[in-house]
Amino acid sequence: MERTLFTPKEARYPNNQSNGHYQLEMQSTNQPQSSHTSTSRSSDSGEPCGDGKWASKLLRECARAISEKDSTKIHHLLWMLNELASPYGDCDQKLASYFLQALFCKATESGQRCFKTLTSVAEKSHSFDSARKLILKFQEVSPWTTFGHVASNGAILESLEGESKLHIIDISDTLCTQWPTLLEALATRNDETPHLKLTVVVTASIVRSVMKEISQRMEKFARLMGVPFEFNVVSGLKSLGELTKEALGVQEDEAIAVNCIGALRKIEVEERGDVVRMLSSLQPRVVTVVEEEADFSSSKTDFVKCFEECLRFYTLYFEMLEESFIPTSNERLMLERECSRSMVRVLACEDEKGHDGDCERRERGSQWSERLKEVFSPVGFSDDCVDDVKALLKRYRTGWSHVLTQGDDSSGIYLTWKDEAVVWASAWKP
Amino acid sequence: MVEFENPSGLTVSAASPEASICSTGNQTAPSVAPPRKKRSLPGMPDPDAEVIALSPKTLMATNRFVCEICSKGFQRDQNLQLHRRGHNLPWKLKQRTSSEIRKRVYVCPEVSCVHHDPSRALGDLTGIKKHFCRKHGEKKWKCERCSKKYAVQSDWKAHMKTCGTREYRCDCGTLFSRRDSFITHRAFCDALAQESERSHQTLVVASTEGGLKVQVVPPPPPPPASCSPPPPHTPSTGVLSPVLSIQSSELPENPSGILQQQGATGLTTTTAAATASGSSTSSGTVSSSSGVFASIFASSAPAGVSQSSQSPSSYTDLICAIGSDRAVAEPMSLSLSSSLYLSNNSSSLFPPSEQDHHRHYAQAPQPALSATALLQKAAQMGATGSNSSFLRGLGLAMPSSSYHQDNSSTGTASQWNSDGKQENNVVASGLGLGPPGSDLMMGPSSLFGNKPTTLDLLGLGLGSGGGSSGGFEAFFTSIGGNLDVAAAAAAASYGGVSSGGGD
Repeated sequence: MERTLFTPKEARYPNNQSNGHYQLEMQSTNQPQSSHTSTSRSSDSGEPCGDGKWASKLLRECARAISEKDSTKIHHLLWMLNELASPYGDCDQKLASYFLQALFCKATESGQRCFKTLTSVAEKSHSFDSARKLILKFQEVSPWTTFGHVASNGAILESLEGESKLHIIDISDTLCTQWPTLLEALATRNDETPHLKLTVVVTASIVRSVMKEISQRMEKFARLMGVPFEFNVVSGLKSLGELTKEALGVQEDEAIAVNCIGALRKIEVEERGDVVRMLSSLQPRVVTVVEEEADFSSSKTDFVKCFEECLRFYTLYFEMLEESFIPTSNERLMLERECSRSMVRVLACEDEKGHDGDCERRERGSQWSERLKEVFSPVGFSDDCVDDVKALLKRYRTGWSHVLTQGDDSSGIYLTWKDEAVVWASAWKP
Repeated sequence: MVEFENPSGLTVSAASPEASICSTGNQTAPSVAPPRKKRSLPGMPDPDAEVIALSPKTLMATNRFVCEICSKGFQRDQNLQLHRRGHNLPWKLKQRTSSEIRKRVYVCPEVSCVHHDPSRALGDLTGIKKHFCRKHGEKKWKCERCSKKYAVQSDWKAHMKTCGTREYRCDCGTLFSRRDSFITHRAFCDALAQESERSHQTLVVASTEGGLKVQVVPPPPPPPASCSPPPPHTPSTGVLSPVLSIQSSELPENPSGILQQQGATGLTTTTAAATASGSSTSSGTVSSSSGVFASIFASSAPAGVSQSSQSPSSYTDLICAIGSDRAVAEPMSLSLSSSLYLSNNSSSLFPPSEQDHHRHYAQAPQPALSATALLQKAAQMGATGSNSSFLRGLGLAMPSSSYHQDNSSTGTASQWNSDGKQENNVVASGLGLGPPGSDLMMGPSSLFGNKPTTLDLLGLGLGSGGGSSGGFEAFFTSIGGNLDVAAAAAAASYGGVSSGGGD
């Protein structure tokens, strides 16, 4: 018999205008069960726990039910989550809301469509001004992104010391907010200000639309700093796997640095080795890699494991956002919404060839290190660089710290939030 | 000590570990020691002076002065002399040799250094020691807060006094306590994007209004900047630090920025020295145009300073008071959402960019009330949060005929205004409360360009006593009124993203 997971009477599509609530109406519970018969209808899963962490319980159960294809349970849990979730509530409610969307898509196999909708909505509401405001505000209240910037800039400056023609290849999604401080350092530190060529590689369509404005600002700012500057954008790539040496415009006499911030996770898992090899073919002096510390690579094989990891990571992220921003912050809301796209992408979209949009399968620092060690060798961060990181973290609220890795398991620095590693930064050379 | 002469008269050698002394310049008869030590201009050593070249080891040695009798070392010459007295030397040997009376200049032992050349010798031993350390030495001292490194301990100490206390102000008016966020903001700020359009406009203004206090676009508020202590210009400033400091928040290609700096110093009663240092800093930046302005300012500096005595000191007091209030309320905030004029619950949905502009427009008109009175009134206005009808109630005259603002801002202003009153539009556009981004910058340019008209618009001319107080109240109210209306409008729209007032 066919697998009837879920046939709602009325399932309106996720409405992303003013509220992300689902309007689901469940059928009566007489559904033909597939192989697994779930006997346990645990009644306690509906009650909010004493410690308030009901969302993770419910969500985990739901994920398990989905992987077991227990449709009764799935119904029940989705319904309950829907009742309790809200993108405007506390952390639990928010997590419930966004994960509910992803789980729903997974259960109904509508992940692709949902992702496309979410992406097009985001594109329409984004502009240069809003994107700029969002990221600058985020960087002001949290070192989540600036940590990677400071570590990478330090490594780049040190490895390119003394060179007169610099070429930095920037594969990141932080809209060039990393570069003003580097430009300032180039202008003030060295006696001879070198020539800097910056090539930015963008894949996300949201980022592409604002690159024009960004390039103007960067050029103006470099002029202001007195740094000879050239700015290029490589867009139009469907995925980073298509990137080639020629497309980057690399020249012989340049000293090259490759800066990958949140970039490697955007590559489809199978293509990652190839891209790393391509990067090494550019013969860079240094490759800086910054990634969020989470392992979403097991989605195909073990959904529940991947889900638990997702839950863990985004719980940390949402809590961090809640403690960093003011309660009524618009920016936090927008950042949370961006997470919802990642969640749907990771949990509910099967990796198909030619899939639109970026992959979001993060891996841990140790995993990336394994990949990178095939072609590169790690470069430790200098004491100065680590001091810069320390000074940076001091400027933010408490809770942030860093950990230097020892041994060759994974080299680099970890940013920790309440003693949990959240971001990993590393430097490599051929 | 070896003394030798040389036809060129300029040879300096450091062959021996001990100091070697050569004569330079002309060989005219050694003059009688001048009664007072003249301080020569930097970079132009006294041609009669002795050039002393010390090896790095000797230069950095702490006990440079050695007693010839017992070989005891001393840090200072005076200490050595004091010690020598204890040896009970016969009178002849007590005297210092005549050559020692001559002025000494020192060259840097580093061959590639510009100060290695005797013509660029430095006149002070401590000075050359510090120079050598700074330029060619290892930086052993490091600031914990910002990781800046120093080779000379006194430089480091001086830095530690101000690090973290210094605030940076962008041209757009936003205040920063962190340098890195300031730099990043500056790179993306609209003020940066607008400057090239403004530059040739402001050029004209600059030459005609030497003592201009209120500045042309971009109109950052110079007065608050000068309220905080002027940042010390450390000797080892790089290209950027003078550029990014409070007083000189401008760029080589932003002559109007240099104007602001001049305005800042003109408004307060800082000394001409500060003005001069400001101008010389700006002229030190990388641009040929800045040199032109530096000379304009140098000549008009006295004019600026004298004119400042006319401007009501209450104005600067008010700004200082506002500035300090803000600082107390939210030390870490950038947009300073807890401004006097807004109620807090509207700040989240309402685009904070408006607040920035309100802040610096508030400084434009010059009130005739005392600082405390104004603050009290402002507090009252903020509490009531009245709407546009208040303005009419005040009977605020809107000389729309005499004031032609560009009407692109009116469109958006009416969007905010539920009644769509003409008066409010004019006030709004007069205040430059137009659409964000480029137009917000458009507003002030004409605002400040027609300065007398602007003041009359709000009834805030310096001469009008009673009218000005009402005008200033209305000014505060209109901000509150407009913003409340706008907040309501913003709340209705989608997530505040597409609201007319901002991002």
